[in-house]
Amino acid sequence: MNKRIRFTAIMATALLGTGALASCATADAGSGGDDAGGTLIVYTNSNGDGRGEWVTAQAKEAGIDIEIVGLGGADLANRIVAEKNNPVGDVVFGLNNMFFETLKEEDAVTAYEPAWAGEVDQESGDPEDGVFWPLVEQAIVTVYDTNTIPAADAPTEVADLWEDAAYDGRYEVNTALGQATPQLVLAGLLAPYLDDDGDLGVSDKGWEQVEEYFAHGSPAEEGTDLYARMTRGDVDFGVLPSSGITARDAEYGTKTGVISPADGVPYVTEQIAVIAGTPRETAAEEFIDWFGSAETQGAFAAEFASYPVNEKARAEALPEVVELIESLPKQDIDYSLTRENIGAWVEKTELEYLP
Amino acid sequence: MRNSSWRGMLRSPLVVIVLVVLVWFVATFLVLPNATLLISTFFPDGRFSFRALEKLVSSERALNSLWHSFALAATLAVTVNVVGIFIVLVTDYFKIRGSRVLWLGYATTLIYGGIVLAAGYNFIYGKYGFITNAVRNVFPDIDPNWFSGYFAVVVVMTLATTTNHMLFLGSSLAKIDYQTIEAARNMGASTLTILWRIVLPALRPMIFAVTVLTFLTGLGALTAPLVLGGTDFQTIAPMILTFSKSSGSRDLAALLAIILGLATIVLLAMMNRVEKSGVYFSVAKVATPLQKQRIRNPLANVLVHVAAYVLFVIYALPVLLIVLFSFLESTAISTGTITWDAFTLANYATVFGTPAVLKPFVVSVVYSALASLIVVLGMLFVARVFQKHRNPVTSLLEYLLHIPWILPTILIALALVMTFDRPNPLIGGQVLTGTTMLLLVAYVIIKIPFTLRLLKAAFASVPESLEDAARILGAGPLFTLRTVLVPLVLPTAAAITALNFNSLLDDYDAAVFLYHPLYEPLGLAIRASTEGENNLDAMSITFVYTVLLMIIMGFTMWLVYGRGRASSTRRRTPRLGAGAAAAGAVTGSAAAAEVAPVRVPVPPA
Amino acid sequence: MIKFENIEVTFGEHVAIPQLDLEVGQGEFFTLLGPSGCGKTTALRTLAGFIEPSRGSIYIDGKDATRLPSEKRSVGMVFQNYALFPSMSVRENIAFGLKVRKTNRAETDRLVDEIAAQVELTQEQLAKNVSELSGGQQQRVAIARALVLKPRILLLDEPLSNLDAKLRVQLREQLKNLQRELGITTVYVTHDQEEALTMSDRIAVFNHGVVEQVGTPEEIYNRSATEFVATFVGATNRLSGEFLQHLRGSGGEFLSAGKNSYLRLEKVGLQPPARGASIRLDGVIADRVYQGSHSTYTIDSNGSRLRALVPENGALPLAPGVRAQLYIDPSSILQY
Repeated sequence: MNKRIRFTAIMATALLGTGALASCATADAGSGGDDAGGTLIVYTNSNGDGRGEWVTAQAKEAGIDIEIVGLGGADLANRIVAEKNNPVGDVVFGLNNMFFETLKEEDAVTAYEPAWAGEVDQESGDPEDGVFWPLVEQAIVTVYDTNTIPAADAPTEVADLWEDAAYDGRYEVNTALGQATPQLVLAGLLAPYLDDDGDLGVSDKGWEQVEEYFAHGSPAEEGTDLYARMTRGDVDFGVLPSSGITARDAEYGTKTGVISPADGVPYVTEQIAVIAGTPRETAAEEFIDWFGSAETQGAFAAEFASYPVNEKARAEALPEVVELIESLPKQDIDYSLTRENIGAWVEKTELEYLP
Repeated sequence: MRNSSWRGMLRSPLVVIVLVVLVWFVATFLVLPNATLLISTFFPDGRFSFRALEKLVSSERALNSLWHSFALAATLAVTVNVVGIFIVLVTDYFKIRGSRVLWLGYATTLIYGGIVLAAGYNFIYGKYGFITNAVRNVFPDIDPNWFSGYFAVVVVMTLATTTNHMLFLGSSLAKIDYQTIEAARNMGASTLTILWRIVLPALRPMIFAVTVLTFLTGLGALTAPLVLGGTDFQTIAPMILTFSKSSGSRDLAALLAIILGLATIVLLAMMNRVEKSGVYFSVAKVATPLQKQRIRNPLANVLVHVAAYVLFVIYALPVLLIVLFSFLESTAISTGTITWDAFTLANYATVFGTPAVLKPFVVSVVYSALASLIVVLGMLFVARVFQKHRNPVTSLLEYLLHIPWILPTILIALALVMTFDRPNPLIGGQVLTGTTMLLLVAYVIIKIPFTLRLLKAAFASVPESLEDAARILGAGPLFTLRTVLVPLVLPTAAAITALNFNSLLDDYDAAVFLYHPLYEPLGLAIRASTEGENNLDAMSITFVYTVLLMIIMGFTMWLVYGRGRASSTRRRTPRLGAGAAAAGAVTGSAAAAEVAPVRVPVPPA
Repeated sequence: MIKFENIEVTFGEHVAIPQLDLEVGQGEFFTLLGPSGCGKTTALRTLAGFIEPSRGSIYIDGKDATRLPSEKRSVGMVFQNYALFPSMSVRENIAFGLKVRKTNRAETDRLVDEIAAQVELTQEQLAKNVSELSGGQQQRVAIARALVLKPRILLLDEPLSNLDAKLRVQLREQLKNLQRELGITTVYVTHDQEEALTMSDRIAVFNHGVVEQVGTPEEIYNRSATEFVATFVGATNRLSGEFLQHLRGSGGEFLSAGKNSYLRLEKVGLQPPARGASIRLDGVIADRVYQGSHSTYTIDSNGSRLRALVPENGALPLAPGVRAQLYIDPSSILQY
């Protein structure tokens, strides 16, 4: 008897629940439909470390209601492309040039000239069509701890790491090539060796570099931070976006040194754009105008140690960040070409060169 | 009566309704989206492309990883059976002191898994693990990397995947007719002979069934090889994951997934054949309930006790460690130096300090509960129809329902988004992309194969004469299903619901593409709070979430097993150990075994 | 009451029953007897409506019931394993059919109590779970469940086969009495010839899906229509050619020489019969098994080893090795 009651209860719950969810669905369908009002859905991969909450709170103060949807870079780009016929998000920011090139190619984002267009170097964004606009710049750097390796003893070129047997197995290589940073490292490795006659537009020499890079490196450990490995003496070098240095030095008591190669280091520029087909285009543009403004970007830089592209906002950035970024030359990387090829490069690397 | 006639099948309105709904569901949510995605990947220009295959065979690394996955699956099929059967025997078959406590220790794998489990073992036995450190203090020559590669992956995954044995084999064991054991002992058979010649053969069908599940887990192994495999033992799953996220390489991902899927189907087919060649009948009229066996050889008795408790410690340590670590500063964890000042509540403060921390929990609990109830409810009907009517149509439908076992969740999710982003006549012109429904649909889909297989086995263990009896007394098919059959498979259904619920709770792969922005599920919230370049507490926070998840999952399991035990004592002599609760759960009712010869569940075609 | 007409039942390629014609009368206790796999259960299940015949018709009460679903045939059935619902109490099991019919509660209770009393189940037992009952009690529950709907036909599929010998004999009588009391038409399936002989009004002997003989127990036993029936029902001696030859030479001329010949055990006499013709033969006692009221002697005579079932009527037992005379009525010899 008892069982029967339980069974009936389960049935009832399931039916009620489905009903509730279904009515939810009908009510919410508007968010992806024609409703021009309501909360602005902001897609970003740059919501970690409390940035999402900060942006939400600041936007609210500025009178814009937003809801942050935070996903990893590759996942986010995939999601936006998959949803392009019926977009759920209204604005996207934080993805790098490569991802935005993809979104532009897929017509998933649409052009808009922000109010602060004059305050940024348009070269960092989309100079041709003005579809996406730069917010923040980061260098992808190879770091070490000067407490263990004095700056004078550190290699001056990244390539020394795999060419010099002394560093064999002493530098971390990130093999998760689905993620943005390892992809940029790969792009940086191949950039000097572009050759139309080579495999996938890269000369054999270039592929050799990739092979050597991975062959002599120590693969990253899932769940263990680079700096944790450096502190316990597992590895001496590793790759990190520059914005991560400050916090790690504070946490691990390290004093980070950066290898500054003559050709420069890969830079990524985080961008912002309106998602194509959103019913809340005006609100989205309003958000972009606010978020990219010198004032907001300055405050953001002060809060999160970022390096804004907006020249007026740079005054607010942390001096050590400015100093570091300005000391590192930009490597010449053709992002539009990289964007076209990165999928194939990743595939080749994954199939042939990863340890 | 198993019925292969079409007329018979189509005469029952219930069957017709179930079939119509099923065909619609399969066509709309399984075939259409995935076929569209696969066709666009394999026929990029309208012609079949061999690109993926060529790439695959020319890549030594891919072939190696593929080989590793198969090797791992094959090894696990053996090791998991050895360990799994051992823990079932010591908790449910032999008289072992403290078997209840042992059961709890072994059951810890029910409530955690994935990266946290692998990390837990790594923190103990890995290069910087405290056991490794302790041993190296005594024997400095020992290789600190001893716990890595194939060996470590096999050990960790073996321990992690004995769950199915505990739940499903335990219940089969409970159904063995004790008189056969008594008879064998009477004829002078030793403990070992009885085990080998009487008990294990009787468990064979269920051993086959869980072996398939184990093999599948081995093929899909992702986190354990990543964390513990080192450079020598990487498997194919991470590669599939990377490739499925890049539109250019999606064909490779699909191809690799299909290779694994085909292997699974071949295995299933083989098991079915083996199964059909031997028919197992319990001929007992009134089966005597199993009584725990004392191990008569004193030395063997001591050895088994020692082994059981060593295993217990191995199982329990990582869980204790995770709870402990959730109270530790992250630097203390990652550098492996634990002092008293390192203890902190800061991790919990961070998690609970996050605005609206509760909401993702609520969202995930609602989604997981709904999805697991819907899938079990639906599959109750489907499994019943499949079990009763075997013909080409039902076989085809059954195979199609296994699609979610073959394709990676990410591909299924992407296919759903892209198919339902426009009004679709199959669902009444609705658009599902961007609604709360789509994630529910995905959750239901990915839980179908597991649910279907186990429910079918449960139905198969119900004697046909019960249905005949109900029918001749005038009960319609729905009434029979509700009053006679469902109560018998209800324990199984409840167990499946709980397992499905637990596994969906922290899902990330499906949710990432499908979740509605205003209803963020837990898996995403965990990722969000642990990702970020400056977030150095990622691992600690993961541990906090794991502890919270363990509490929810533990509660779920208690709901299903803990409470159920109280009512089952009325019927059966309660056996020691909480495992008794699982008895009769998974493959149907123990009581059914007592009144009639039972067709032992056969893995369905 | 029941009529099988030109019935054929096939399972895929396999023909389970090639041809079946049977009639069962009102109130009759009719038994389908045969070894396992002979088609008797198939015939019963066809009658119950679980199996659809590939040819022919079934009539119940003169109406064509071939396509009638089982619940509309007014049949009650007791299964070999009783098929009691393990998730329900004894009372719930018995009341199941009434519940399906949406009988009201008071009426249900009354009917259940009534039938429970008839099959001798106590109120205490009614409250129990079925698995708490013994085999014999479970069997009574199964009968009560089948009868509570007051069906016009009761089908019993080897209902006693799972019980121990003594209980079996006891329940055999109870079942027969119950049937007589209710006057319900009963079709009974068994492989136990003793059960068939003691309980039935009429018996149909099945072999390989074919009915070899239909008749009263006496007809089946004494005038077995086929060799199969003769050997399957009751115990027989098979006679050697030499033995037969001897009989033909001493008064049994009408016996044919080339046929297989059988003789029931009790038709072999060790004393001259009080009346009727008999032929006397010489033999030697090989063995004797004492069974209380009877003894079974094994006797070698004329190239045959015969067994004889002889009443223990105070005469001195014959020891092995002793020469003895056999008295045989040649007309009781069955020839095929």
